Amino acid sequence: MVRLFAHFQASVGKKMIMALTGLGLAGFVMAHMLGNLQLFEGPHALNSYAAFLRDMPIVLWAVRIGLLSIAVFHIGLALQLGMRNRRARPVEYTVHRYRQASIASRTMAISGMALLVFVGFHLLHLTAGVIDPGFNDRLDAEGHRDVYSKVVHAFQNPFVVLLYLAGQLGLGLHLNHAIASSIQTMGFEHAGLNRLLKALGPVIGLIVVLGNVAIILAVFLGIVR
Amino acid sequence: MTFTLKIWRQSSPSEQGRFVTYEANDVSPGMSFLEMLDGVNQRLLRSGEEPVAFDQDCREGICGSCALVINGIPHGPDQGITTCQLYMRRFSDGASITIEPWRAKAFPILRDLVVDRSALDRIMQAGGYISVNTGGAVDGNVLLIGKDQAETAMDAASCIGCGACVAACKNASAMLFVAAKVSHLATLPQGRPERARRVNAMLDAMDREGFGSCGNQYECEAVCPKRITVGFIAKLNHEYLRAGIVESGLPNEPESPYAESS
Amino acid sequence: MMRLDSKIPSGPLESKWDRHRFSEKLVSPNNKRNLTVIVVGAGLAGASAASTLGQLGYHVSCFCFHDSPRRAHSIAAQGGINAAKNYQDDGDSVGRLFYDTIKGGDFRSREANVYRLAQVSTQIVDQCVALGIPFAREYGGQLANRSFGGVQVSRTFYCRGQTGQQLLLGAYSALCWQIERGQVTMHPRTELLDLILVDGQARGIVARDLVTGRISAHMAHAVVLATGGYSNVYYLSTNASGCNVTATYRAWKHGAAFANPCFTQIHPTAIPPGDVHQAKLTLMSESLRNDGRLWVPKLSADHRSPGDIPLPDRDYFLERRYPRFGNLAPRDIASRAVKVVCDEGRGVGPGGRGVYLDFSDVMEQQGLEVVRERYGNLFEMYHRITGEDAYQVPMRIYPAPHYTMGGLWVDYNLMSTVPGLFVIGEANFADHGANRLGASSLMQGLADGYFILPYTIGHYLATATLPPIPDDHAEAREAIQRVETRIHRLLTVKGCRTAAMFHRELGTLLWNHCGMSRNESGLTSALRAIPTLREEFWRDVMVPGSGNSFNQELEYAGRVADYLEFAELLCHDALHRQESCGAHFREEYQTEDGEPRRDDAQFAYVAAWEYREETVPVVHKEPLAFEFVPPTMRSYQ
Repeated sequence: MVRLFAHFQASVGKKMIMALTGLGLAGFVMAHMLGNLQLFEGPHALNSYAAFLRDMPIVLWAVRIGLLSIAVFHIGLALQLGMRNRRARPVEYTVHRYRQASIASRTMAISGMALLVFVGFHLLHLTAGVIDPGFNDRLDAEGHRDVYSKVVHAFQNPFVVLLYLAGQLGLGLHLNHAIASSIQTMGFEHAGLNRLLKALGPVIGLIVVLGNVAIILAVFLGIVR
Repeated sequence: MTFTLKIWRQSSPSEQGRFVTYEANDVSPGMSFLEMLDGVNQRLLRSGEEPVAFDQDCREGICGSCALVINGIPHGPDQGITTCQLYMRRFSDGASITIEPWRAKAFPILRDLVVDRSALDRIMQAGGYISVNTGGAVDGNVLLIGKDQAETAMDAASCIGCGACVAACKNASAMLFVAAKVSHLATLPQGRPERARRVNAMLDAMDREGFGSCGNQYECEAVCPKRITVGFIAKLNHEYLRAGIVESGLPNEPESPYAESS
Repeated sequence: MMRLDSKIPSGPLESKWDRHRFSEKLVSPNNKRNLTVIVVGAGLAGASAASTLGQLGYHVSCFCFHDSPRRAHSIAAQGGINAAKNYQDDGDSVGRLFYDTIKGGDFRSREANVYRLAQVSTQIVDQCVALGIPFAREYGGQLANRSFGGVQVSRTFYCRGQTGQQLLLGAYSALCWQIERGQVTMHPRTELLDLILVDGQARGIVARDLVTGRISAHMAHAVVLATGGYSNVYYLSTNASGCNVTATYRAWKHGAAFANPCFTQIHPTAIPPGDVHQAKLTLMSESLRNDGRLWVPKLSADHRSPGDIPLPDRDYFLERRYPRFGNLAPRDIASRAVKVVCDEGRGVGPGGRGVYLDFSDVMEQQGLEVVRERYGNLFEMYHRITGEDAYQVPMRIYPAPHYTMGGLWVDYNLMSTVPGLFVIGEANFADHGANRLGASSLMQGLADGYFILPYTIGHYLATATLPPIPDDHAEAREAIQRVETRIHRLLTVKGCRTAAMFHRELGTLLWNHCGMSRNESGLTSALRAIPTLREEFWRDVMVPGSGNSFNQELEYAGRVADYLEFAELLCHDALHRQESCGAHFREEYQTEDGEPRRDDAQFAYVAAWEYREETVPVVHKEPLAFEFVPPTMRSYQ
């Protein structure tokens, strides 16, 4: 076991851990989006979904701690590799042109950092309820916490909506490059599936972002009240 | 044709470099980029100045010596060629051209546009070979190697070691270079016995030399004069993953191949 | 007085090498550790020799002027490597490869050497496969072959059009292993500038670190030169710009005989020279002649575009002169035929230097796609260089200096006339006689490096008396002094002409008088002009900068200075060889229809030249006996 970990100390190994943790986080984001889509089924569905999660505190906290540590690894290694990469080119080119690198791939650090800030805000805002604690303790007719109303309330504020949309832009960009990149880093290559694998990032990114944006805009535009 | 050249001049590794502007006159469209630079150097020489140093040798795109970043792109605007295969008809008359050396920590500048690429040799020395002695090889046809397999190995083996992949990479990573060698040898049955040791040793050497890590932007592939694809980087990653799992499952640390047997 | 002892073992041809190897003394493993061998050059021959010697247990110091041993010009060889494997079962054998090589060399090479080369050829391919060289394969997984260079069997092994590259990278990888093991110390960006002889034995070299300019002596028990050929003496050639004669020339000045310098191969299919700024000629693969037809207009100075010249006004000169071989005539014959029509004023393109290589007939018969498939990459390369689309207008080609069969004289053990100085690969006078066949230079370089030298050098090291010598031995100090003086001299001329200007002038002179065809008056005038040019060089050359830094112009000027001396030797040899054979064509010695006339009665020998200070070199003759293959007339008509 020690030797297995020692093996992955090389920069490629670190990349692999980044890829795996990243894929884990992407999986969570996907599940999170799918769960939240229950907003469209009305207050009952969403609130009982939230209650269902809260009824299993051990699982919930295990997942939360797992996600946190995954994120810490992901970000820590990103910083480590990022510093290594900066050291690898101490003098920049005076003129530099890209040939084929996508915008998403060039902005991974920026989109990653934006995402980190956004997630922090999101946790304080909707999970912990530190920002705007208005609906924290309200219960619905069935006695569940009224998450539905909290969300609806939140996205009626144009500033919050703007911030969340920006967060989605960061998320979309990050996922766009991340998924195909992770597959490549994990050493999976298949000539026949090449185009499919390349499309995975943009497609999954788009699905997650569209799902999330649909929730935000549906509330903001008054489609969901 | 005439051109305005902004060329990086640096008289020694330790000194500060700077751009100097030169005029290239009487350039004909049929001249190669390096012949155009030869012309500039001849004029500098006649006026008693030191010419611009740059690496070059075969001038037919195979030795991998020439290494110029032209207007921000290693080996210049065309794809699938080296600097020496670039011709001036590719540029419009009167254009301004910026010429820089490869820039990477692992490639210190020796003079002007000449960099030290011996880091790539040291990666090769770490494991880029099949350790067989001269003599005593079995007949070449004893090993049957499928045509596709041989072609894939050849695709990877066509790397000329110019270092453009490193130069183009935002992270100055040598992954495509290492990938080409590892894939070439791992594809062939002859290279299989040492594949785990090789990939580990070469990647360790790459890290030691101060190259960055792969960002999967694939700029390396886009500037590679031999059009080596990033599929080989996936293969390298695969080899690395495999080596980690296989090696950590071995009962003991493998004995040093050089240990004298008693 | 120089004595040429070729040390050819007696007995039947087939068993000479085996018996010789058995009679050779061996060095015991303990003693190998205490022996150092210097290998200069890291091309096919140098890298394979250095790696094999390292593997055997010797300490090896390997020098190359490139930044990495992987860049030597062997890398540019395209076609392939011959081996008498007879995998195609088309009647090939060691004997046939031997015969083809002897005949192709126009009976100017040693039977014993060539036979050994053919024998070893099969081992080379096996060794290369073991090293992981990705040779082309058939669908069934067996090695693929093609025919090459006008022989009747398919014995050429290849890696697309990059065989030289793959073989060199294989040798380089073997070298890397030995460097990693600590058996070989590599000195890249280091150039040999002089040889150190102690008591008549080669015991070291003086080399300049091209980055720092530091000049130092390196001592050893034997020195191996693997420094390639001298085609660049012509200024424009298909060689890399760094290729030079310096190492072999300086060895010559220390008493190593130089053999057959006038045997220089001119390759027929290169892209014609353009303007005066051109720095190199690009070779187009010989395979183009399989489908392309060479022609020129019948009338001189016919300036119509090729498409407007009707069939009756065209001269398909190779097909006319050599109906049996047509466009596939061997390199020397084809080159000369091109020269003849160009000299008649019928050449095409700028300066009338060029002939058409036309694919329109094959495109008409088999379709454009067939041509694209076979030669697409070559057409692309042609387009990139000339800007012309060869699918629309015929290609233009012109011969270019390509390879030198001549080189330092070596005996059967590959040792020169200086004891302890071994010469391998293109640098020696080799096994190619007066003309080299396609796909055999790679074979010879690897044969020397992997399989021959490692045996024969052992015998020398086991039998010679080699007392230990310190790095600051008087001879070493003196040699360093010589080198420093010369560098100082180059730097202090401070004239107004660049080394390239002298080099170009020398190249033009040689190309005109000692190129594809030579005659007495031309050669004598060249012999008069070269010393004058050399004097001008030392009076008027401009070398900027200092000797203590990275100074590419200084490196180049030093090489040009050696070319300016060596060119004279080349002309002396061409003048003295009063016959036409192989690549050496003397206009005085031709038949009525312009074919070369070989003179076996008088010139069936190797001309080995000895250096004499301040006077003309002296020729020594090593007679060539043909016991097994009686010389015949080489006819391709």
